[in-house]
Order: sequence, then C-alpha cells, then structure tokens
Amino acid sequence: MIEDTELAMVPVRRLVESPVDAVFTLAPGDRALVETGESVVVGAPIAERLRDPRLEEIALTSTVEPVPGARWSRDGGAGPAGVRHTEDGGELLFTWRSRWRLATGDVPDPLEAPVAGIVRDVQPGTSITLRATGQGIRGVVTLGGPTRGKLRMATGASGGLRPGGLDVGLAGTILVVGTRIDAETLTRARAMGIRGIIVAGLASKERRDFLASEARQRAALHRLPPYAVLIMDGANRRPMAGPLMDIFELLAGREVAIVGDPPTLVFDAPELTLPTPPADLVRVRGGALLGAEGRWLGPAGLRRFDGGVHLEAGRIRLGDGSVATVALGDLERFA
Amino acid sequence: MTTEPRAFATVDLGAATVSVALIGKLDRSWRLIGSCALPSAAGADGAVASLVERLRRADPDLLDRLGVGGPDAGDLVRVEARSANARTLAIVAATERSLAPLVAAAQRSGWLTVAASAQTTDPLTMTRMLLDGATDAILAGATDPPAADERSALGELAALVAAVATRRPDRLIVLAGGMAERQSEFGDSTKRAGETVLAPAAGTGPAGDPLRGLLLELAGPSTDARRALGAAAAAIADVTDRRVELVEIGFDGATRAIAHPATANGPALLDLAVVPGAGLAPADPDDDVVDRVLAWSTVASDRHRLRDRLRELRIAPWADASGDGLDLRVAAAHASLARILEATPDMGAHGVPDLVVAAGGVWSAMPPSLVALTLADVIRRPGASQLVMDGAALLAPLGGIPEARERRAVIADLLDDLLVPLGTLVMPAGLRAGRPAGHVVVHATASAASTDLGSGDLALVPLDPGCGAIADFHFRDAVRLGGRGRGFALDVAGGLAGLLVDLRDVPMRLPDRADTRRELLRSWQATVRPRSHP
Repeated sequence: MIEDTELAMVPVRRLVESPVDAVFTLAPGDRALVETGESVVVGAPIAERLRDPRLEEIALTSTVEPVPGARWSRDGGAGPAGVRHTEDGGELLFTWRSRWRLATGDVPDPLEAPVAGIVRDVQPGTSITLRATGQGIRGVVTLGGPTRGKLRMATGASGGLRPGGLDVGLAGTILVVGTRIDAETLTRARAMGIRGIIVAGLASKERRDFLASEARQRAALHRLPPYAVLIMDGANRRPMAGPLMDIFELLAGREVAIVGDPPTLVFDAPELTLPTPPADLVRVRGGALLGAEGRWLGPAGLRRFDGGVHLEAGRIRLGDGSVATVALGDLERFA
Repeated sequence: MTTEPRAFATVDLGAATVSVALIGKLDRSWRLIGSCALPSAAGADGAVASLVERLRRADPDLLDRLGVGGPDAGDLVRVEARSANARTLAIVAATERSLAPLVAAAQRSGWLTVAASAQTTDPLTMTRMLLDGATDAILAGATDPPAADERSALGELAALVAAVATRRPDRLIVLAGGMAERQSEFGDSTKRAGETVLAPAAGTGPAGDPLRGLLLELAGPSTDARRALGAAAAAIADVTDRRVELVEIGFDGATRAIAHPATANGPALLDLAVVPGAGLAPADPDDDVVDRVLAWSTVASDRHRLRDRLRELRIAPWADASGDGLDLRVAAAHASLARILEATPDMGAHGVPDLVVAAGGVWSAMPPSLVALTLADVIRRPGASQLVMDGAALLAPLGGIPEARERRAVIADLLDDLLVPLGTLVMPAGLRAGRPAGHVVVHATASAASTDLGSGDLALVPLDPGCGAIADFHFRDAVRLGGRGRGFALDVAGGLAGLLVDLRDVPMRLPDRADTRRELLRSWQATVRPRSHP
C-alpha cells in the first residue's frame, strides 16, 4: 500500500494527449480565412498573416455600420469579422474623430493548417483555435512553426547532430535528434528544406542564436518555408526518454506536424498500437543521473542530500543493474 | 460524545509544492501532529494519504485517539489553500508619467503586467497588446484630473480601448482616475460578459491604497493562498502583540505582508502585497533576472548556463534540489526577495518588525540556516528582529479560515508549532569599516558568553530554539540600532540558526569581481551552516 502511495508521489508525464487544441496567433490586420465549426484539411489556408502591418486612417462612406474587428476593402465596404475575403483592405480597429484606424499591409503570408481538424474558435486579431484530428506528444517549447513533414530518426536516444550530418535528401522531413543540437545545425537544416527538429534539450545560447537567425530571415521579406524546433525536455543535455523514442520509431516514415501552442507533435495514426511503458519505469530528470532510466524499487524515506537538504527519496534499479537512491523530485514516470 | 472533529488536515497547494499537515486536538489544544512537502504533481489526496500512512506507522494509537479513520484518510476534514495562477493585466495610459504608478500598483496587487503608453507606442501595437490571447484584463488609467500632457491623447486612447472591449466582451476592463469619466464611450456595460469597473487614480504611499486594494480584489478569488497569508500575518500580530513582516516566495509569485497589532494609539494595520513578478522561477528569464541570480550564486557560471538552469528550474521545480541545485535555489531566492522589496518600497515605512516570517515552497527544501542568511542578505535595515519560518506551510490554510475569531483561536493554539524559530537577527548600521566593532555578551539562563565583533563580519552566536537570552552589545563607536548609541541590551530568542549579528554594510555592497564575490558569499554561508553540512 505504502509503496504504491509513494510511487504515486513521482510526477507523471503523459506520453500521448488527446484531443489537441492548437492555437494559431493572429495580430490585428491578419485575416482569418475560416469560421468556427469549419472542417479543414492538411495544407488548407486558414489565415493570412501580414508581414508588414501598418496603420492607416480612412473615412468610411458605407451605409453599413462598421464595427471594430470587421474587414474593410477599398471596393467592398465593411463586413462582419473574419468572413470577408478581400485583397486590398484591412481590419477596422477603432474610430476617432470620424475616421477609422485600419490595420493593413502589403505582403500577406498564408498560414496553412499543419493538421486536419475542426475550427473551434476564431478571434480576429487574436487567434484561431483548431481541434486537431489525432493525438499529440507534448514538449516544453516550440521555436518557429507550425510545420509538417515526414518523421525520420536522425540519431539514437543519446545521439547529437552536426551540420555535416545533414543532406538534401532529408528535405521535407522532421528529424528526431536524441540529446542536443546547435544553432548552426538548426539553421543549416532549415536551409536544406528540413521541416522540423525534435530534440530532448536545447541550450539557451543555441536557442537565442537560432531565433536571431530566424528573425534575420524574416526581415529579408521573402516567404520562409515552415520550420519548427520542438524541445521535449529542457535546456540541459540529456538523452531522449526511452518511451518517447519507442513512439517516434513507430511513427517514423509517417506524416506528423509540430504546433507551437501548446508545444506538441501531432500525429494521426489510429491504426497504430502505441507501446505502453511499464508502470514502474522511472526516468531521472535532474541531478548527476540526468536522463538515466530504471525500475522503481520502493520508497527510501526522507534522505539527506548534498548541501544538507532533506528530500523524500526512492530507490531505483538502473539499466546496468546498480541501485541508486534518488530524490522523488528528480524522477518522472510515464502514463 | 461530540461530533466536533478532533483532527483536520491542512493543504497548501502551490504551483510547485503541495504541503500537507495533520492537526490534532490534544489536551484541549490544537497541535501539529506531522507534516510533509512534496512536488505538487503528487496532488493533495496523495500527499494527505502518504502523511497519514506514515503517522499511522509511527504512532497508530495517537491517530486512533484523534479519530483519524480509514487508510486513505478520505474522511479527514481539510482546510485547503490554493495558489491561483496569476493573470495578465494589460495597462495603458496616455503618458509614461501616468503609466508608471499604474504599473507599480498592479505589479504588487497580484497581476502580471504588460504596459504601453500612447506617448511611446503606436495604436496598432497597443491594439495588438490588448487583443493578445495572453491578456486577461485591461486597465486604462489617467491622473485625476488628467494632466495637461495627457488630455490630448486620452480621447483616442479611450476609443482604442473601447473598441477592444467591444471585440473582447469577456475581458475585465478597469477605468482608473480621469479615464473613468469616459465610461460612456464604452457603451452599455450590461451587454458585456466581462465587468467594467471604475477605479480611483493611482498614487504613491497611502494615496495609492484604494487602487491597489481594488486590483488585489480583482486579481483572484478571496480564497487565494497569497491573500490568506495576509490574514494569517494579522492574526499572528494580534496573538503575539508584535509587529510582523511576512515574506513568501513561491514558484509563481511572492507575497509581502506587514501586520501591526492594535494599540492604544491606533487600530491594527495590515499592508499586503502580492507580487507575481517576483516568483522564484520566471517563465522566460531575461538578462535582468539572470544577472540578479548570478550576483548571489556561489557556483561559477556564465549567463547562458545559468539561464539554462533557471529554465530547468521552471520546468521541473523539484528536480536537482541538492548540491549545485541548492545553490541555484538560494541565489534565486535572494533575487526574488530583492524583487519583492523593490516592488513594495512604501512598505519600508512601517519600520523594523519584531518578527519576520519566511513562508513559501522555496524554503521547504533549504536548510534553516540558509533561510536566515537569505533574509539577512537582502532585507537590509538597522534593527533587531526574530526570524521564524512557516515550516509546515500552515499559514495560508489557517489564514483562509473565514471567521476571524476562529482563525485567531486556531493560530493561537498552534503558534509554537507553526512558527519554526530560526533565531534573532541583529543588524547595526553606521559601523566604521576595517576595524574591530566591539563585542557582545549573551546572557543565557546559566551562562554568559562573549563574542568579539568586527566591522563587515557576520557573527553567529549559538542559541538553541526555545532559549531566550539578553544580548549586551558594546560598540567602540556609536551605531544605529533602533536608536543611536554604543551600548545596547536586547532580548533575543534562539533558533535553528542562532543569534545572527550582521555587521555588514547597510545597504549591502557586493564586490564587482565575480570570483571575489563568490568567495565572500561562500564564507558567509560557511559561517551560518552547521559544521556537519558538506
């Protein structure tokens, strides 16, 4: 009884989640191309995002009472929010001294649905929420995206990827990289047409360098192909969790998508039976044994650790047969 | 036969830590039977069941006397406090000058903030900020009456906010000061799902209390754990008849409460600030956060590496809690505490408290001596205070008891159990650098011990928990310690750390060189930590 209770103290990581409500951010001036309740297929345009939004003032002569958030076009007047598809116009923001402030721009970038699903909510100027068909594997953060591609294993759970390990044959794929990757490899992967990277950890420096490179690319005013980096665990170097690798290997060769909010890998494979990890499998997510996996043996009670800290602990048997006493807070299990 | 429960459980469910305790009635008084703190992922039910099971194994007869039945303790009455997630308030004003006091008021009243003024931000960017999905509420404010430099921009600003209010009818809108006069531009508020609230203008000092109080009310439910801490601090001040300062550092926010008991000269005082931006682990640590933590770290690290560690702390707050992980928590606690003090400068005017209470999940995984040192490092003011810790995280649940008389009675019963004594901090100011400062003689019950004091030093005089003593200070030069003088006799109380005589600079000045600073920080930690700690 007590042992079950103590194992329950170990934080659970859900391997697969369903449903996944993916949120796509919109800014004032962006145009939603879908309505609530609409079904969308993979690749369908769901919005146009302005690359160069600006504010303009206009005097409306339309007999229709305009409202904030409505689309306005130079030839068609104002209409309800989110339904009027016009090429030359913008989004009405507010009226001041009989003139409307309009969010508009010259260069729209289409936002295509990376997953099939049903539109749950459209808030012009704020977001589109899409309930994806399929299941998701949650990470901790997504950089860039959304994107879609064929999943491919680039390394094992403990492997890393260098620029030399990339080639054009990988274009269109989303690569699973075990431990860690640097910013140079990330930017090179984008240049080679790779659609995404899934990695266990990405250091803050690499993250910053990659995001700076992305910002420079976007400033160049040419449309970028979709690309995303999904970080599964955090910032430190550690192997990808074994149960995750098992699922990735099963999904290899299939089309998957990465969305940013929530940071998730989405896949639609109802015919697959996903592997279930043993209930007593635990993984170390902090300290000297970071990334190690083992089997739960039982509680070790309150233990004194380095620095005079007293923490609840448990005993685990590692892969090499040794037994370690690890703070419960350093462990995670899977469900 | 009575139907009154003889035991109940307290649960403090935070973003990172769940703390549970079993309280039982023994000899007509409530007493703390046992407690534990676990990662919040364990959940309240699991934590209570685990605690009861352990207590049953340790003393089954006691649990039977208390009437704690079933193995899962499902029938146990619970007093629960839960930390609500801080919401984001988008603040807009006409000028930077009028924006600053609004932001300061909101940041210490339970809100995360984003802010922009018409003076520096174009309407498109401002609309984007207000429409952002992460924004939960909007505060539009002006001075009352609006100043000359605000008037020209207020009309357009009101039109912009009113348009957003139309588009997002679910959002709470607060119109403060001169902006409240423009309520008519926001149309019929009864047609909106979200409230439209009129508020007083922002101000500094007591003049700002009405807006701060209103924003705190709007920030979250009245049962929120951080607000309950204010009620608990007031009850402790009332029960002990002492001036109390409570500082709580949590994963997602922090609290500072100052409570004074009622006296012949005035009513009781409670000044409460909830500062979500001062949490231990900010979601996206910027350079300012990283530098603040780096300044208090004893482990050599660069910015990138430290940012990595802070991100890991955010993702898994209980992981890597010992060794270098402990250093990270201690340094991050210093940075959080400094941010609380910066967000609440007005609260310093209440004077030096008699009792400083440390509460919050961050302390639960830290040796008590380091808790005392952290408080001494950051709260720099001349005077003497007793330091205690909410060791079993009882204050938030007990502070949440709705009936004041009942709350006071339970806290009075449990006072000796809920406040873990850390010791007494004595901090004189005005010492001359680089020379002996004098000495202190501590007169305990059966003995007297003299300790030499050096300017700039941190001296620890062992004094066990529960022991009281008179500390006779003799300084070579006049210092400030309450009043100004060379000789002081103070009543001091012992604790897990002891009597801490802090002769370092007030305010603190740390060396600029990182290696020198780390060495100094290590030496201070070595002074207060028990020899057995590695």
